Amino acid sequence: MTHTRRLFLQRGLALVSVGVTVPTFLDSTVMAMEDPLDVKRTQRESGKDGPILVVVQMSGGNDGLSMVVPYADDAYHRARPTLAHGPKDVLKLNEYVGLNQNLTGIKGLYDSGMASVLQGVGYPNPNRSHFRSMDIWQSGIPEKEMVTSGWLGRFFDNTCAGEDPHQGVVLGESTPLAMKGEKTTPLAFDKPGNYRYKGRDAGSYTSLNQPSESSPTTKPAAMAKAAPAKLITPDSQLSFLTRTAMDARVSSDKVLSIVNGYQTAQSYPNGSFGEGLRTVAAMIRGGLPTKVYYVSLGGFDTHAGQEGRHDRLMKDLDQGVAAFWKDMKEQKNEQRVTMMAFSEFGRRVAQNASGGTDHGAAAPMFLFGPSIAKKAGIVGRHPSLTDLDQGDLKYGLDFRNVYASILQEWLKTPSKPVLGRQFEPLPIFKA
Amino acid sequence: MAKLHPMLEPFGSAPGETWDRMHAAHLLNRATFGGNDADVAEAYALGAVGAIDKLLDFPDAPVEEISQTAGPDLSGITDYPKTAADRRQLFQGKTEEEKKVLQQQIQQANNEAVREVAGWWMRRMATGPYPLQEKLAFFWHGHFTTSARDERSAWLMWGQNETLRTYAAGNFAKFAKAMAHDPAMLDYLNNQQNKKAHPNENFARELMELFTLGIGNYTENDVKEGARAFTGWAHNGEEYVFRKFDHDDGDKTFLGRRGKFDGTDVVDIILQQPVCGAYIASRLWCNFVNEDPDPAICQSLGQQLRDNNYELRPVIRILLSSRAFHSDQNLGGLIKSPVQLIVGLARQMGLDDMRFGKLRDSLKQMGQEPLMPPNVKGWPGGRQWINTSTLFVRQNTALQMIAERGAKIRRNDGANRPDEAVDAWLARLIQRPVAADRRDILVKALGNRVTDDSLRGMIGLIVSMPEFQLC
Repeated sequence: MTHTRRLFLQRGLALVSVGVTVPTFLDSTVMAMEDPLDVKRTQRESGKDGPILVVVQMSGGNDGLSMVVPYADDAYHRARPTLAHGPKDVLKLNEYVGLNQNLTGIKGLYDSGMASVLQGVGYPNPNRSHFRSMDIWQSGIPEKEMVTSGWLGRFFDNTCAGEDPHQGVVLGESTPLAMKGEKTTPLAFDKPGNYRYKGRDAGSYTSLNQPSESSPTTKPAAMAKAAPAKLITPDSQLSFLTRTAMDARVSSDKVLSIVNGYQTAQSYPNGSFGEGLRTVAAMIRGGLPTKVYYVSLGGFDTHAGQEGRHDRLMKDLDQGVAAFWKDMKEQKNEQRVTMMAFSEFGRRVAQNASGGTDHGAAAPMFLFGPSIAKKAGIVGRHPSLTDLDQGDLKYGLDFRNVYASILQEWLKTPSKPVLGRQFEPLPIFKA
Repeated sequence: MAKLHPMLEPFGSAPGETWDRMHAAHLLNRATFGGNDADVAEAYALGAVGAIDKLLDFPDAPVEEISQTAGPDLSGITDYPKTAADRRQLFQGKTEEEKKVLQQQIQQANNEAVREVAGWWMRRMATGPYPLQEKLAFFWHGHFTTSARDERSAWLMWGQNETLRTYAAGNFAKFAKAMAHDPAMLDYLNNQQNKKAHPNENFARELMELFTLGIGNYTENDVKEGARAFTGWAHNGEEYVFRKFDHDDGDKTFLGRRGKFDGTDVVDIILQQPVCGAYIASRLWCNFVNEDPDPAICQSLGQQLRDNNYELRPVIRILLSSRAFHSDQNLGGLIKSPVQLIVGLARQMGLDDMRFGKLRDSLKQMGQEPLMPPNVKGWPGGRQWINTSTLFVRQNTALQMIAERGAKIRRNDGANRPDEAVDAWLARLIQRPVAADRRDILVKALGNRVTDDSLRGMIGLIVSMPEFQLC
């Protein structure tokens, strides 16, 4: 029997007697702790068929023209004298565009109908500041200057009752606005190994973070005589903290045992992105009730010396995504997952004098998964390379239509309460 | 003067209200970032009135006026121009390419400078001479929010930081006007783009919604008209400038008044609204007392603010002296902000040379980096600080600080028996009674032999208790 479960069983009555509400998740999770990899048992509560969204954020402004390359357009070669990829250097999707040659795994997904390339995605009056544009993409509300919650956070607010801490999981050191709700916050850790108590006396720690069973309290000798011999701290705050600490301990045990015990034949690329995706795969396999996972790949702000740098990023992205989907297939969980990849903006059409590109506007987005409709291999027209807005591509698809598709047709939830108004879903998912 | 709400009358004026070390520690937890043994002993000896007087006795002036060497030292950061003129000079005669490289260098240096200012600030909070001034400045930082997040100049952020310090307990009317002229603020809330031809409402809206009146106490039309009054209020990268040709000097109708108002008039009209006093009082209440302000008390406190012509010091004195502030249910009822958590622990552990810069990642994970509030609402605070991930980070960060070489953990400070040592450290770090079974766990964990090592382990457990998250 695990330590946590034993404690829970020992102290269960005490918990009840002091009137602390045991979170529902603790109840079902602790009972399933015997074997966290026992999918049948751990998933009983959350519904084994619940859809999962994995968000991949390409931070820094991904050069869309080097990812989905309009190799057949002379204007592209004129604008990118040293950075352009020729017809032989791309994985052709059609007579006009091809994928960056490093995206062989993604090309495989595309060929098997599991990828959708959304061309020219953006929003009105594009902002070229990383921070502002990222806020816009993450909040889902470009019109408002200051938004305190993100689109996925509002999805949690609207749909996830209860306090299960695993509904959203961020692999990263801080929580992106996208995942922040008004009422809910996701789980966030850079590495699973940091999602634990690091003190050396775990036993005492555990006892100290249980509800107290004694009502008489001590009066620390160093306090003045007048200090009342009663518990001062408001019960509600203490029990809130105690409950969160118990949640954290159980959740940490669970996450760590799932991730540490995870075995897969797939090799993920080194670095936080690949390791993050591997952790996501492990957590999906472990049967956590998580609806959204969020991972990031940084380094896309290629103002100088872009050649080689961007290709390496493409390779990293491709290897991670490809390994993840092979893993899902092997787990037989691929039907449950859709992946979305985006960046805060694309880059200027013309390259600059430093062999790089500056902040731009519209760019491609990607969706992956077996639920992609047959006809959705390429969605939207490629933006013109000559009819530009201040040197940048004009958007043809609004990203909020993509969000609406994901919310309504994948996560099966109304998109209007999340996005503030109704956006028409695009024909991306299978009916 | 209007009559005070009974809960705002001084603590100690009714039978049973006795000033003791616990109340002294409570005062220091709320009015500073937490006190150590000596601080608590001193405040206790001074009595409530004396202790509060001492806390409030600080110059309404920027640090650099008090001491030229007390401010952050950014001289070690290379390629970082201090003024717009320096900056222009740096760029002079450079090619486009060189400018781009320079721009990136400056940006990097700026990030470094912002972090330096934040680290300096936390050290001043912990060890500076006027902890209440810093506590208030930090509160106002989350009120008149400006963030360096989108690469805002560290010099502008530092300038604003000094303004927050100068008016921390000064006159709120002057404070609000200073903030409306503050370059970092104008920049953050897009007033650079607020021009007669295309008004930008951002600053005018937040001025009323968050800084002075609260939502529901103005109309959308007031926002529009208020924004017109602030057109042309801009900065040149260094200081405030009034751009006459961008300013709309026409008639405006604002909060029921009509005239050729400019920004200063608009602030004056706002301050004449009775609700303004109560709104500011409720913000102070949430920061210093509890998260559930009683409208009647805030009404009374707000009236005091108005009766004192918006002088903050007398109102803060009333608040900190009040029966409500010192009442039992408010002792240990607030969840510490991440900054309170680490600055307070540094103070209590005697970590005078703490390099707060190395806790930057932890602060980020806990959700509070000074100078980087997430949005204009500031930090949400309260229970929002706590979830299963941040709780671990808070506990692990406290452990990391206990393990610091400079942490003053002495075996022989008069508490030699294990239970005495536990009591001494509970008094030092929790400062309130704790449940008997909790204490027993600590005594047991300490073992029969009190060594430096076992003591450190026990202290690590105290900072891992739910009680330690509260103040």
